Amino acid sequence: MSIFVESSDVLPLVDLEVALPVGSLQDPAGQEGLAQLTGHLMRRGPRGLSQERFEDRLASLGARLSVDVSMRSTRIRATVLRRNLEPLLALLADVVWQPALRASDFAKLKRRAQAALIARRDDDQTLGAVCFREALFGEHPYGRTLSGHTDSLARIGVQQVKDFYAKNIAKGAFVVGVAGDVAEVEMRSLISSHFPRSRRARKKGSDVPATRVRRGRHVVIVDKPERTQTQLFIGTLGARTRDRNLFPLIVSNTAFGGTFSGPLMQQVRGVRGWSYGAYSRLLHSTQRDAWYMSTAPAAEYSADCAALQLDLLERWVDGGTKKADLSFAQRYLINSHCFDRDTPSKRLETRLDVELLDIPRSYVDKYDQLVARVTRQEANDATRARISPRDLIIVVVATASEVASSFEQLPGVRSLEIVPFDRT
Amino acid sequence: MAAQAPAFMGAPEVLIERLNRGVTKRNARWTFVRDHAFGDALTLRRFRLGNGLTVLTVLDRSAPTVSYHTWFRVGSRHESPGKTGLAHLFEHLMFSETRSHAHGDFDRLMERAGAEANAATWTDWTCYYENAPRDALPLLIELEADRMANLVLRTPQVASEKEVVANERKLRVEDDVEGKALELLYDNAFRRHPYRWPTIGWMQDIRGFTVRDCQQFYRTHYAPNNATVVIAGDFNEQKALSLVQRHYGGMSAASNAEPPTPSKEPSQRAERVLQLTVPTPTEKLLIGYHAPSFSDPDTPALVIANDVLFGGHSSRLHRLFCLDEEIALSVRGSISPFIDPGLFEMWIFLREGKRKEDALALLDREVDRLAAEGPSPLELEKAINQLELSFLHSMETAGGKAEQIGFYETVANDGAAVFDRLGAYRNVTAGDVKRVVAKYLRPSRRTRVEILRNGS
Repeated sequence: MSIFVESSDVLPLVDLEVALPVGSLQDPAGQEGLAQLTGHLMRRGPRGLSQERFEDRLASLGARLSVDVSMRSTRIRATVLRRNLEPLLALLADVVWQPALRASDFAKLKRRAQAALIARRDDDQTLGAVCFREALFGEHPYGRTLSGHTDSLARIGVQQVKDFYAKNIAKGAFVVGVAGDVAEVEMRSLISSHFPRSRRARKKGSDVPATRVRRGRHVVIVDKPERTQTQLFIGTLGARTRDRNLFPLIVSNTAFGGTFSGPLMQQVRGVRGWSYGAYSRLLHSTQRDAWYMSTAPAAEYSADCAALQLDLLERWVDGGTKKADLSFAQRYLINSHCFDRDTPSKRLETRLDVELLDIPRSYVDKYDQLVARVTRQEANDATRARISPRDLIIVVVATASEVASSFEQLPGVRSLEIVPFDRT
Repeated sequence: MAAQAPAFMGAPEVLIERLNRGVTKRNARWTFVRDHAFGDALTLRRFRLGNGLTVLTVLDRSAPTVSYHTWFRVGSRHESPGKTGLAHLFEHLMFSETRSHAHGDFDRLMERAGAEANAATWTDWTCYYENAPRDALPLLIELEADRMANLVLRTPQVASEKEVVANERKLRVEDDVEGKALELLYDNAFRRHPYRWPTIGWMQDIRGFTVRDCQQFYRTHYAPNNATVVIAGDFNEQKALSLVQRHYGGMSAASNAEPPTPSKEPSQRAERVLQLTVPTPTEKLLIGYHAPSFSDPDTPALVIANDVLFGGHSSRLHRLFCLDEEIALSVRGSISPFIDPGLFEMWIFLREGKRKEDALALLDREVDRLAAEGPSPLELEKAINQLELSFLHSMETAGGKAEQIGFYETVANDGAAVFDRLGAYRNVTAGDVKRVVAKYLRPSRRTRVEILRNGS
């Protein structure tokens, strides 16, 4: 079993994490949301303890527990006052090895998950983000939502959860991490005693098919009434984690839309005041994940803002980034890198990411060099190779009647679809 | 290898004597006020420059980072009707040009140094902060001092930032169910006190600000004697204080920085009920009970009561509303941390088809029960341990420490009070909780916003 320890005695606090290479990519087709439901049902406690007693026990230890499921991993995270570390560790081991997975808890959890899908309609940014991934990836597993949808949740019963647990978690293919006020040797021994059956986590996800670019520019309007302000996502496919273009693209994207000083923020917010935020993000995974810009302009100039962003995008990709701007981005990335490791829990998280997500260790150990050695030529070539301004998904959460005609007229738009905000 | 300069000079009197050697200007001379230890690892030291600038330092070498916070004692409470939102707009303008730096330089220099620079405004304060690699501290000191004294306000920047703030208001209030409901709550719970208007300001006020409004605001509130600087992290204290002395020592105290005392809010004698109809899939309840100020001796007991009712999965109301009755998706409670008495806010996010009347009846029943019976020993233990956990988490980073200390300094008038708060929670008894719940959580003291679906 892999155990990672990050020691720091500054505060009497300990973070624990059991991390598994299992996420929503393992959801069977038609049962989207299964990995998350499994994690959340485990969170309701181990056999022999009612949920109520389990929660009382956690709170009285000065502990918190969460189960976070992503596309490729499940992270069972606990944090506790140092003086209560040992009882918390025992409780955590029980959650992992002997989750109750009670049918009565499952029924409630499922009703809660369905209610959460409905409540999500209040959050325009989330509506936009979910729609963007669905439109970008289509039927590919990267387009799935972690929490599933009404129909997929309806198809999941407690037996599916138990089967998912037995297949993906019970065998103990996970890594354990500890950060905070602990001594490494003592901690390793303690963890080994609570997780004796654990075996090395097998990295998953390499069998995911390649993602494919959808040709042309396509607009999707998430139609919601009474919007004075819109949420705008414009993007396309980005890079793979093991893409040789990854670091050149990270630097190039940072120069374009990764800082407050970049052209995206300056042109959208600084010059015109059109949006409170304006950033571009580059995600990477086993296959090419998303690259996108996000802004939140007022409805009256949402399409103008989109047009401006398209223009900026074309100039970035076709014209390239100036040397001075690239150097600025490199300095920013290298100098601010200390905030990726300024607490023991952040340092631990990085190590677990390397272990679980097939991230080359050199990306962490040699981060500064990998950023610093990117040349202008490499950055501009990588941008042109990976970011296609002709093939874009444009998602806007807005009142459709107010924006549809202006978005339809954006250059190069091949299709426009309007979807109601309350579809689930 | 060159010898490293010591982190600080041991006895603060020696440090002060060195810093003041040869300094004749009164505004630039340091005074050491006091220190306050927290455990073995942390000591908070308080210094004051002759011009009234308070500087608090905390050394922590656990990471090669430093956090630099500047807290001004000015917030939306210092505005007047028709000019609401000026403190917040001004926060945006502080990232503009100065007499020494062109527009955009501030962000560019900060980002090139790897610093995260941002700001926040609320009712009682405005805070500017940078979290940076430790070597960037001289730059942070120079740029913060520069914009405290040398800001240039011109029409294009003011016009552009007004548009940004108008968009921010749409984002956070007009199209946001919670933001809109909170604005309605405070506007009705308060009749006289400036807490009644939103920190972001009313839209018509935002649209109406002039360059002259902004210049007047700057002259009144942005002065060393109206600010506290907190430096936390891995830095050399002597060098830092010397740089502060050099960059701030030439400034003079403002004579009119002390704001007038706001009108006292009259006691509320009857429940106020409002309805807000919005495009939302589910109904919600937002309730605000008049609550004591952050520094009031009753507040720790009320914080414990909040934890018993709303603190996590084992709390009474989470269990009742979300698990047993399945009437709500989530519930949330908090007490506004204000200088003057604020509100104990309670949110109930109902599930589709559930009735707000049922939720209110359940809430009243549980509040009455807590007032009558108080919390159990287990509930007290849970609350205190959870508050300790939250406190420790808030102190994990240099930025977290600076934020906590700066907040306590500005709102409770003593940055070191942050280290005593846990002790105050531990001293709370079940009887205290019963008493404060009975005293503050009475229906006649509350304002209720019922958030309804369009068409419901």
